Amino acid sequence: MSLLEINNVSKIYGELHALDKVSLKVEKGEWVAIMGPSGSGKSTLMNIIGCMDRPSEGEVLMDGIDIAKMNQKELTLIRRDKIGLVFQQFHLVNYLTAVENVMLSQYYHSIPDEKEALEALDRVGLAGRARHLPSQLSGGEQQRVCVARALINYPEIILADEPTGNLDEANEKIIMDLFHNLHNEGTTLIVVTHDPEVAQTAQRTLFLRDGKLVRETVNENFTGEIKYEDWTENK
Amino acid sequence: MFGRMIKGILTRQWKKMLMIGLTIALGASLATAMLSVMLDVGDKINQELKAYGANIIVSPQEASVIEDLYDVEGGDKATKAYLREDELSKVKTIFWAFNIVDYSPFISTSVKLDDGSEVKLTGSWFNHHLELATGETLDSGIRNMRSWWDIEDGDWIDEQGSGAEGECMVGTELAKKLGISVGDSLHVTGNASAADLTVKGIFDAGGDEDEYIFTTLDTAQAIGGLDGKVDTIEVSALTTPDNELSEKAAKDPGSLTIKQYETWYCTAYASAICYQLTEVITDSTAAPVRQVASSEGAILDKTELLMGLIAVLSMVGSALGICNLVTASVMDRSREIGLMKAIGAQNSSIILQVITEILITAAIGGAAGFAAGIGFAQIIGQTVFGSSIALRTMVIPIVIVAVLAITLIGCIPAIRQLLKLSPTEVLHE
Repeated sequence: MSLLEINNVSKIYGELHALDKVSLKVEKGEWVAIMGPSGSGKSTLMNIIGCMDRPSEGEVLMDGIDIAKMNQKELTLIRRDKIGLVFQQFHLVNYLTAVENVMLSQYYHSIPDEKEALEALDRVGLAGRARHLPSQLSGGEQQRVCVARALINYPEIILADEPTGNLDEANEKIIMDLFHNLHNEGTTLIVVTHDPEVAQTAQRTLFLRDGKLVRETVNENFTGEIKYEDWTENK
Repeated sequence: MFGRMIKGILTRQWKKMLMIGLTIALGASLATAMLSVMLDVGDKINQELKAYGANIIVSPQEASVIEDLYDVEGGDKATKAYLREDELSKVKTIFWAFNIVDYSPFISTSVKLDDGSEVKLTGSWFNHHLELATGETLDSGIRNMRSWWDIEDGDWIDEQGSGAEGECMVGTELAKKLGISVGDSLHVTGNASAADLTVKGIFDAGGDEDEYIFTTLDTAQAIGGLDGKVDTIEVSALTTPDNELSEKAAKDPGSLTIKQYETWYCTAYASAICYQLTEVITDSTAAPVRQVASSEGAILDKTELLMGLIAVLSMVGSALGICNLVTASVMDRSREIGLMKAIGAQNSSIILQVITEILITAAIGGAAGFAAGIGFAQIIGQTVFGSSIALRTMVIPIVIVAVLAITLIGCIPAIRQLLKLSPTEVLHE
């Protein structure tokens, strides 16, 4: 049984089909990239996979359970227990320190544990910045706090929306290395991006256009290693 | 973690909460001030209205019948009826005793002066000290109830000092006629005895009393041979304006149903107070001085209504301000709230957080507003009434409940916005 299975999912706003009968599967431990130009339906698909929205049609099976018909409260529980979210804009609570932002995710999930939150920050290389407010952190550091927050509850899927979109190259590499490590540890990664280089680091890339899944490529050379030399040249 | 979040928003985002706190403080201060003034205004207005004198007059029943039948005032005759001096303390024992703020007995007798002329000598209380059975003390008498008297020379008789029994106050017309001034001795001869009275003060009452001599009740009784007797009692009472029920009762209390009777008896209508006075003073009749009684009640009611309205309006204004500010604050924090929802927060958790933040802000703002309100009340007291406003204990729970209520009501639109907020709408902006 696939970790995530989407069958004929559509999202319709009046006349507009933001998603049009999209079907896909993601296996446990897989690293999948979703690519497409603006307006292709990437964000809509991410919202549905991330349990923040429901499809107009079709079914979304997560661990075999159809979440498409769940109400908002049930979706919140699925989102809390199974999904870690990483956003392009970081979205940290600006009056909480880095460690408190990580603990916030624990608070809504179970019981906040400062020691565990500090370990998660250590994992992303920010142990020394734990007591800093978001405004005292660089963009890359904020995104690393966001990753620490996403992985603190050991989610089944980490869902990242343009995770490097607002980062410089150095920080981009740090984040991609973090994803690489998470993947090697068996975490399922779904990365929504418009950056081909970021997409190429995944095992499999799905291409969306006008709400339809138009192509799927498998990275035959996927080794789990990211070749930044080629990446920099292409960029 | 909840505590850290609350502490974080209150300490690191205090500027955002400051406006909410100030709005609550403003509402609480106005409500505190207006409520304090409203609850104390009765006493204050009463002090002011004492200038208009008594609003109820108690007189003997028989005298009243003669006056009613022949439209004449009872003379100083052997047949004249009197009230009993020993029953005066009962005035402050009736159901509405608390509303009786001052009263004074009067006894009048004719006396002859050395030149053979006959003048009216009136005995009364000036500042008579009463220690009531309830433990209450009262300095009662015409010093308060004739506050419009203009003391042209000398001073009021001080009953609490020594030698008051041998003193008198003389009306300005009589003083001119006799050519006497303060400190002179006036020899008066009454029905029972004669006395030398020292003129303590000369007053201008602007009426008939300018031709009278006023002395203490005991002195006038001794001179007139009227020991233990009183002509009339003037009562200054705080009353509720008359209505149909009170007018019906004034004509005949027996015409009321039991329920109407209870309502009337337990309301401070002038007629109800009069009725209760006649219950405790033997063979008496009591009648309101209509204009004064109704004016006092109406002024008091209107003033209390005005203060109450200002208090309510200030709280409503505060609630509207809180509505706008909290809603704006929630909209301003929509990304933060969207993020919380995205990472697993239920609506109830976020509502609890927002309400806790606002309530803590309200508690701080409310406490500051309450303190400021007490100050405002004193400013109003000093400016309008020339005295301080007493803080009634009941203002504290009223303001606490009001602040709590307006804060929670003010949060309702924000909570509705918050419930509608979808993480997808704010996180991809």
